[in-house]
Amino acid sequence: MKVLVTGAGGFLGTSAVERLLSHGHQDIRCFLRDRGKAERLLALQESYPGAQLELCFGNLRSKADCARAVADVSLVIHLAAALKGAAAEIFADSVVASRNLLEALEARGNMPIEKTRVVLVSSFGVYGVVALGRGARIDESTPLETHPELRDTYSYSKLMQEQLFRDHQQKAGFELVVLRPGVIYGPGGGAISNRVGLQIGPVFFHLGGRNLLPLSYVVNCAEAIVVTAIQPDSAGQVYNVHDDNLPTAARYLREYKKQVKRIRSIRLPYFVTRMLAHRLEIYHYYSQGQLPAILTRYKVAAAWGGSRFDNAKLHALGWQPLVATNDAMAKSFAYLRKLDDQS
Amino acid sequence: MSLKIAIVGCGKIADAHVEEIRKIPSVHLSAVCDLEPVMAEQLAVRYSVPQWYSDVARMLDVEKPDVLHITTPPQSHLALTCQAVAAGCHVFLEKPVALHHCDAEAIITTALAARRKLAVNYWPRFEAPALELRRLQETGVLGSPVHVESYTGYDLQGEFGMSFRRDLDHWVHRLPGKLFHNMMDHVLNKITPFLPDDHPFIQTIAYRGGKGVIETGSAEILDELRVMIRGERTSAYATFCAHARPVGQTLRVYGTKNTAHVDYTARTVVLERKQAFPSALGRLFPPFLTAKDYLRQGLKNVNRFSHSRFHFFDGMRRLLEEFYLSIDQDLEPPIAYAEILRVTAMMESIFEQVYPEVRP
Repeated sequence: MKVLVTGAGGFLGTSAVERLLSHGHQDIRCFLRDRGKAERLLALQESYPGAQLELCFGNLRSKADCARAVADVSLVIHLAAALKGAAAEIFADSVVASRNLLEALEARGNMPIEKTRVVLVSSFGVYGVVALGRGARIDESTPLETHPELRDTYSYSKLMQEQLFRDHQQKAGFELVVLRPGVIYGPGGGAISNRVGLQIGPVFFHLGGRNLLPLSYVVNCAEAIVVTAIQPDSAGQVYNVHDDNLPTAARYLREYKKQVKRIRSIRLPYFVTRMLAHRLEIYHYYSQGQLPAILTRYKVAAAWGGSRFDNAKLHALGWQPLVATNDAMAKSFAYLRKLDDQS
Repeated sequence: MSLKIAIVGCGKIADAHVEEIRKIPSVHLSAVCDLEPVMAEQLAVRYSVPQWYSDVARMLDVEKPDVLHITTPPQSHLALTCQAVAAGCHVFLEKPVALHHCDAEAIITTALAARRKLAVNYWPRFEAPALELRRLQETGVLGSPVHVESYTGYDLQGEFGMSFRRDLDHWVHRLPGKLFHNMMDHVLNKITPFLPDDHPFIQTIAYRGGKGVIETGSAEILDELRVMIRGERTSAYATFCAHARPVGQTLRVYGTKNTAHVDYTARTVVLERKQAFPSALGRLFPPFLTAKDYLRQGLKNVNRFSHSRFHFFDGMRRLLEEFYLSIDQDLEPPIAYAEILRVTAMMESIFEQVYPEVRP
């Protein structure tokens, strides 16, 4: 079985390829845009000399590149997405690119589409958590966001992307598995998630407090991708992906300060953050956007509303985290410490 | 005045157009359009625009806008302008105007023939410091311009830089002047008010200034440009620089009486005056006078901020207000067509020297 991994050169993509190899998949097409990110994949090839890692460079905005990417594959793991940048770029790289990929998949004449499986890696950001109120439990049955325009661009793009995949699945009949990871972290990833707080100038505003942090260590997340990709029962299902024994945002920040570096932080209680967001909204409206509305009451409720999380469905499929949360945090912090020392 | 506005092209710059249009109470944005439905939908949803389309002909037919903002890549500007003008629209064009000078001429001829108005988004020209510079020139404070230096910095790691570096099919790669083509309007349109010559002498040097572009496989892209321009009475240097920091936009106008220095990023205009006192005393005072100028400019900026007139694209808002007013009251458009054509002619001359193989 030939497997296509889009975004294979990225933080999660390389780990997904590594987990596929360790599960015995030998024939993998790694689709990546940036040639500079091929290094880790080439190292993997050396570790698994029997495997065929085909590096396929291109851009999913190009229909011709998409046609090359999907030729002869029966499993597609779609990770490529834009995480930041201008809104138009995020939609072009996440939604338009996905549409091109799906159309190329459906246009193949030599492969039965109903025997093709597509795994989409989406995001927790698609859930409509604000409507549920403080402290709601998030599982796969949680309703999706109904006001994407009030959320950040990334969440809106992921919501649009998921809808696109569902529409195409109904029309074309391929097997679709949707994964919604929380905060993916680990060596090679970012330092502190927005769910912990925001760095504004020299000060870190700690907004997460005692909220649980839905961490997903990159290796555990990659393992979840592979487990759901190969299990027959996962077809048509959605899975939330996060680790067990989740820390609070406060604990994560405490450990970060202890194991990586000291940073100046100011703890803002939830009601203060909401109040500030309200003031910023008023000013943003009054000044016609002179300062960006990085905080609104809606965004505050979505990010720091104290949601609780549930990964029972993923466990029921047979997934187990390969690295325990404490060890994963230690590995991630060791990497960040090294990075900080080098800089 | 109550104008109905529509936008075709829902890429990055369309966000800025939507935001500035919404600040003008006498007009309303009725629809946006992009060949790619996803792009049109996302823009309409994010800004609560009433309608979105993926077919510009249909949008023009249904919405019947008074003004069409064309924010597509320049490859489509001529065809879209013809379509818009035929539908009775006035046109606001994003830069660069066109692929070639002859296309720019055709765009303007088409608008003139249909008695429709047209403006190009030369927004830095309408920033507060640029208007102050215009006042200094018009009131004779500078005297006659002798030499002009226009500098524009560029960040290849920024949002715009990264998008074309990552995508080798990006429309910027297909422009005759490539990266320079997308930026030189803003460098040159600051010079043209001081240099009225139709055919100035132009000498160009272009080169690649760093390794950043090579890493993404687009090694052929040059990213440093120096242009020397000589008119009958005035000379100019135009600099496009992708590697110096901080990334800035400045203009220095050397006049026969005084010299003005405009910083478009810090939004300041400072005069360098002739020495008023002899000898060492004359050298003693200028730093204090310059400091006083900067303090005054800083306070002006605080005033603009407190009155919510300190947005990044404030110049675009001002340009749009003037353009819409010119439509409503049948006035001259805010930027003379002859000046737009002088910019496109200079650009063509520069690109022919940098990339001789792409002559029209």
